Formats: sequence, C-alpha cells, structure tokens
Amino acid sequence: MLVIDDESSIRLLCRVNLTASGIDVLEAEDGVHGLELARKERPDLILLDVMMPGLDGWEVARRLGRDAATSEIPIVFLTARAGDDDRALGEEAGGVGYVVKPFDPVEIGSFVENVLARLERGERDELRREIVHRPEGDA
Amino acid sequence: MTPSVNTEGLSLEALADAADRANRLQRVTERLAGALTPQQVLDAILTEGLRAAEARAGAIGLVTEDGQAIELLAQSGYRGPVFEEYGHFPLDADLPMSHVARTGEPLFLESRAERNELFPSLEGKGEDGNAIAVLPLALDGRLLGVIALSFGENMVFSEERRQMKMTLAHQAAQALERSRLYAAEQAARQRLAFVAEASELLSSSLDYEQTLKQVARLAVPRLADWCAIDMVGEDGSIKRLAVAHQDPDKVQWAYELQERYPPDPDDPHGVAEVIRSGQPEFFPELPEELLEELIGDDEDLRRIVDELGLRATICVPLSARGRTLGALTLIAAETHAGFDQADFDLSLEVARRAGIAVDNSRLFQEAEKGANAARALAHVADGVVLLDRAGFVRHWNSAASLMMGVSEEEALGRRVEAVVPAWDSLSSHIRLVRPGEELARPVTVPLMVQGHELWVSASGVDFGEGTVYALRDVTDEHAVEKTRSDFVATASHELRTPLAAIYGAVRTIRREDLELAETDEATFLEIIEAESLRLAQIVDQILVAGQIDADAVDFELETCDPVELAEGVAESAALHLPHGISLHVDKEGARPILCDVNKLRQVLVNLVDNAIKYSPDGGDVEIKLDSANGECLIEVADEGLGIPSSERERIFEKFYRLDPQQTRGVGGSGLGLYICRELVERMNGRLDVESEPGEGSRFTVRLPVSA
Repeated sequence: MLVIDDESSIRLLCRVNLTASGIDVLEAEDGVHGLELARKERPDLILLDVMMPGLDGWEVARRLGRDAATSEIPIVFLTARAGDDDRALGEEAGGVGYVVKPFDPVEIGSFVENVLARLERGERDELRREIVHRPEGDA
Repeated sequence: MTPSVNTEGLSLEALADAADRANRLQRVTERLAGALTPQQVLDAILTEGLRAAEARAGAIGLVTEDGQAIELLAQSGYRGPVFEEYGHFPLDADLPMSHVARTGEPLFLESRAERNELFPSLEGKGEDGNAIAVLPLALDGRLLGVIALSFGENMVFSEERRQMKMTLAHQAAQALERSRLYAAEQAARQRLAFVAEASELLSSSLDYEQTLKQVARLAVPRLADWCAIDMVGEDGSIKRLAVAHQDPDKVQWAYELQERYPPDPDDPHGVAEVIRSGQPEFFPELPEELLEELIGDDEDLRRIVDELGLRATICVPLSARGRTLGALTLIAAETHAGFDQADFDLSLEVARRAGIAVDNSRLFQEAEKGANAARALAHVADGVVLLDRAGFVRHWNSAASLMMGVSEEEALGRRVEAVVPAWDSLSSHIRLVRPGEELARPVTVPLMVQGHELWVSASGVDFGEGTVYALRDVTDEHAVEKTRSDFVATASHELRTPLAAIYGAVRTIRREDLELAETDEATFLEIIEAESLRLAQIVDQILVAGQIDADAVDFELETCDPVELAEGVAESAALHLPHGISLHVDKEGARPILCDVNKLRQVLVNLVDNAIKYSPDGGDVEIKLDSANGECLIEVADEGLGIPSSERERIFEKFYRLDPQQTRGVGGSGLGLYICRELVERMNGRLDVESEPGEGSRFTVRLPVSA
C-alpha cells in the first residue's frame, strides 16, 4: 500500500498503524514521487492526500487513471478538504474512498481492507457513489 | 282735448302757472336723468317728483313677475306702518293701486268722499281732506307698476294738472325701466368681470388649491355672501378647501362648524349629493321644510342656521372628463336677497372652468411626478428595467445601460430577450412579488452579458401592467464573498491538518494492540507538541489576517530606532537557536524610521523565524540595517534552501506554502509572509524577496526614514 502525503506526521501515523495491521507501507512526500512509486511497485491501494505542493491529489489521481500501468490501483483520498464539492471532485477523479482529516489511524487498516474486500466483490460503483452520498460516519 | 293750445285766451296767472309747472317738470326730468340705479330713481321721484306734483306723500309699487300682486318699493310722506300693511298686496284687492294696475288707466280722486265712494274698504283710513292721484307706470303699453300721489287737501284736477301728472308718471316709468336695465347690465357686467377674473386666476397657476381659494374670495361679496369650495379626497371623503365671507371671523366660524358637522357623503342634499350625483342643486329660495329636515332636533344647529340667515343656495359640481372632483357652493344670506337664473348659469360656468383647471393641474402634477420618478430612476445606481406584459422593454435606466452594455435607445421597445439573450435564465431565478404583498427579496445569480459573467442581485415586482426589475451588479462583492468563503475553507483545512496529526498521534499511542518502539513514542509526543504549537500559531495568524482583511488593524506610526528593534529580535531568537545557525546584526547604515514598532517587530520575528526554519543545514542568518533614498532597509538574509523563482511572489499569497521537497517538510500556517507584507505595506513600506535555490533568501523591508 502506498501513502502519498506531504505531511511527514501523517505518513508516519499511516505507516505505524497499517504496519500494525499487517500491511506493507510505501511512502511518497509528493505527487511526482507517488506516481513513480505507484508505477514501479504497483501497490494494492493508494492513500492519497489532496492539498500538496506541486501536483495536487486530484491531478495525481487523474494521471494514475490515465496510465495503464496504474489505472487499476484503487485510490482512497485522505484529505482535510471536507466540502461536498471536494467529495464530488474525489469521485470524479476516480476515488473509491474518501477519508477526511482528522481521522482515526487505528481504524485505517480495517477501513482499507474493507474497501479492498468490497472491490473484490465488484462493488466499485457503490464505493464511488458513497464518496458523495456518505452512507456511514467517516472513518 | 284740443291738440293746439291757444295762449291768447289765457290769463297771465294761468300763464305763470303753466311756466312754473314746466319748470318743476324740467327739474324732475334733470334729476331723473342723473339717477342711475333704481334706488336713485325712486329717491328722485319721491322728492323732486312729489314737489313737482305738489303732492304731500307718494308711493311706488311694482307689479310682481307673475302679474298677480303689487310690491311696494318705496314711499315718502305716509305715516304709520305702511310696508307692514301695504308692502305686498294682490292685484285684485279693492285698493286704488290695484285698480289702476288692473285697468291701466289713471285715477284722479279729488276728495275723500270720492275715494270712500269708489273704495269703501278704505273708509276711515288715511287723513282728512285728501285728494289722490294714482297713475300707471307704463312703457309702450307694458305696465311696470303704479305710483300713488296724495295731496294735503281736496283738489280739482284740471286737464293741465292731469296732463302734468301723467307726464311725470311717464318719465318715472322710463327712468325706472332705464335704471332696471342699468342694474341688470351692471349685474351682467359684474358676472362677466367675475368670470373673467376667475378664469384668469384659474389659468394663472397650477397650484389649484391656491387659485380655488382666490376664486372663492373673488365671489364674495359681489356674487354671494358665502362661497365655499369642497374637494373629493382620494379616499372619497369630502374636504373643504376654501370658505370665503367678507368677515374673517365668520370664515373662522364656518371652519369650526365644518369640524363640528363634517359632511356625510350620504347627505341627501348639498355638497355630498352634488358630488355624488354630479348634478347641480339650485334653491332660489330655501324651502322651509329642507331647513327643518337639515336641523332636525338639534337646537344648536337651529341657532346656527338662524344666525346664517340662509336665503338661497347654489351648489354646482366641479367636474372634468366625467369625474366629479368637488363642488362650488354659493350662499345668499345677509346682503343678497337671492339668486336668479343668471347667477346659477354663472356658477355653472365658473365651476366648469374650475373643474378643467383642477384636472389640468392634477394631470400636470401626475406627469410631473412621472417625470420626476423617471429622472430619479436615471440616477439610481441599480439597474431598473420595466417590461410590459408582452415582455417589451419600457424603461431602461442608465445603470441598466452600463451593466448590460446596451444603451436606453437600443433597449427601449424591444423584447428583453433580444436585448439580453440570457434574460430568461436570470428571470427564472427571480420570484416576482405583487406590490404591497411583501418586499421583493433579491437573489444573487450569474448573468452572462456580452461574453463575460456578471453576478447580479435581482428582484422583481409584478404590478399588473408589467414587471419592474431591480438589478444590482454585485460582481465585485461576489468575488469578495468567494475570497472569504475560500479563506474559511482553506483555514479549516489548515486547522484540520495539525489536528489530524495530534489526534492521530494520541490514538496511535493509546492503541492497545500495538507496542510502540520508544523512539516512535517520542516522535509522536514531539508531533503532538509541535502540531499543537502550529495550531495555536495558525489560529493567531488567521485572526490577524482576518483583521487585516477587514482593515481593522490600528497602526501607531512613530519614530523608532531600528537598531534597538533588530537587536531585540535577534536576542530573543538567539535563546532557542538550532545547532549550526549563527545570527548577527549589521547596523552600520541604520537611520530612525517611521513605523508602528510592535507591528514591525512582528514582521522581523517572522522573517527571522523563517530564515532559521528554512536553513535546516545551518548557516548564517543576518539582519542588516541600511538606508538609501530616504528609505531605511532592513534585510533578513539566510544561506538556507532558497526559493525557486516560480514561487517567489506566491509565497506572499494567503495560505501558500513552499514545496516541502525544497523545504524538507517545514510546517507553517501559510499566512506568515502574507501578514508580513500586508503589515509593511500598511506602514507605507515594501517587502520583497531575492533568492537562489540552494543559496538562501534575502527578504528586504523598506520603510520611510523618519523626518
């Protein structure tokens, strides 16, 4: 799993907690490095921050989608942008999950595993819809 | 009677008598010629005429219009209550004057005995030894009246005497008729003059209330004793506009009466009825029943009516274009005996002219109001657009022209969609209200006008004949509002990020299924500490930035010593200087500056903090003071990461932060440099940056040197 976020503390939180859940974690501190790692390592899922200097998260997601090597990698946005229009952008950019900061890092492992399980069951469209029409409380 | 008079057979005495009679007759003729009014004629007959006729007393009566009676006009020499007894008596009465009026023939009674024989009813009346001559006053066979002459003794009326009295009566009749014509002509002249003057007044001014008051004053006392003008108010009530009477006290009294007895629009007579029906009301003599009906049981009112002494009234409507606007009332009371048809016709004519004048004046006022409204609308800053029912532009003020880029000439008379193609999408957002229902609530909507987007605040009122829209260009306000909401969104994001770190760190430390390495735990605690401080700093800076945006920061400009300031900042920074950083102040070129010391200190602290923060590998940080061209320069230079040229201006934007790849994850609020530049500029200075990536940055504050 790949975490792309410019805040080192957020990356650290994800790494420690995901690792504790038995998930291997790769980190990138900006979009360019994130795209590079994604192409090279083909992670199962990408946790993607939105507001980053340089390439922002929406653009990173679009580029991942355009590249055949990365287009199948599910993206979960991990962002401080909590507005409805932001969620719509996330859905548009091809996300399958949307986590608003502040979030509980202890739950993040089970959250992404649930996303992966539902994708396995072919619920990609439902997941995408849920970004905009939140069915349950945010993680 | 012989037509030619043979004077040779007459005695000298008779000749002298004849000459004397001719002389007296001559004097009467002269007197009568000089008498103009009926009163003057009557006076002349009853003085000079009586003398000429050698009569002791005389009386003149006129046949009434209906030919049924004789009305005594004047008398002289009779004693007792003559008018009470003989003021008015029928033509068929057994009296000498009635007799003469009936026969048209003169009557000469030489003695009392002769009188009593002919008029037995008069026996015992009058004085002894009276002869009387009663003569018709006739002209061209038309009988006007009768004159009676009484003599102090019994008399023999010779042919000459009879002839002389007949001549006198003839002259009196002529003079009376002339004076009557004269009086009628005078009255007609008065009326004409009144109509002329009233017309002139009415056309002299558009202030009809004023002119109508003047017309009322013009009518008294020559046409009537009272003149009142009432107008119908917009609510249908009757308002007294003017009352005129010769005596100002009476006018005051009339107004008080009006207040005590306000007109009831349902009154069956008078002003209310005339206004309601639009038909004039004319009472040449006021019927007693009408007055009784008016008075009812009100004793106060009875006294008032008695005091008024109403004799006749005319009430005519003031109307124009089929609408009754008010009424003009004329009242004959103390000095006018009554009104005749001519008075009534005159009133109708004046009322007709007054009605037209009022109508014109109101039309003009309305037109004026409309013109004023249009003039006012032209200067309103909001666009005002009036569409008729069919959607054609009927009004398009200058603000609308400016906003839409379409002149009034181009817009008027065209369909609004042809003028502004996007009108439909605009009007679909506007909820029209009806006048008086509620205030129109403006909606703010985008409107494409000639290729660019305007934001307009728009409202509309449907007034039946069309719709009036008010449009305000709020493009600038909308941009400000957007900036503000962006600021709030960004601020919330800026707060969520450190909060996420703090909350996440706490949750992680407390995670029970996870045994953290000691170093990790220490790292999380550091994160909590650092991000809490960052949070506090962000909140502070958001407050300051908010104050700056609201222009609510006060500056106290004073002369200050930059050296003292720079050294103070350097000293506190030195207290927690990271390893590898050296800090010093170069104060050689310093000069006193004009600034707000606390604000400038804030700026320097921020710049020095940044210099240290963006020098992760250590290096020199220098505060250099210099002056040139009346400006004092305060430079803060470091040898740290530097800023790529593409970012150099953006770092002063709100919430902008340097790429962490270059800055190696240095956190911040994104507001520091924005605040610094805003503060410096508000102290009449400038804040710029020079930088080379990898070589460091140099921030320069320029402030005016204190004079």
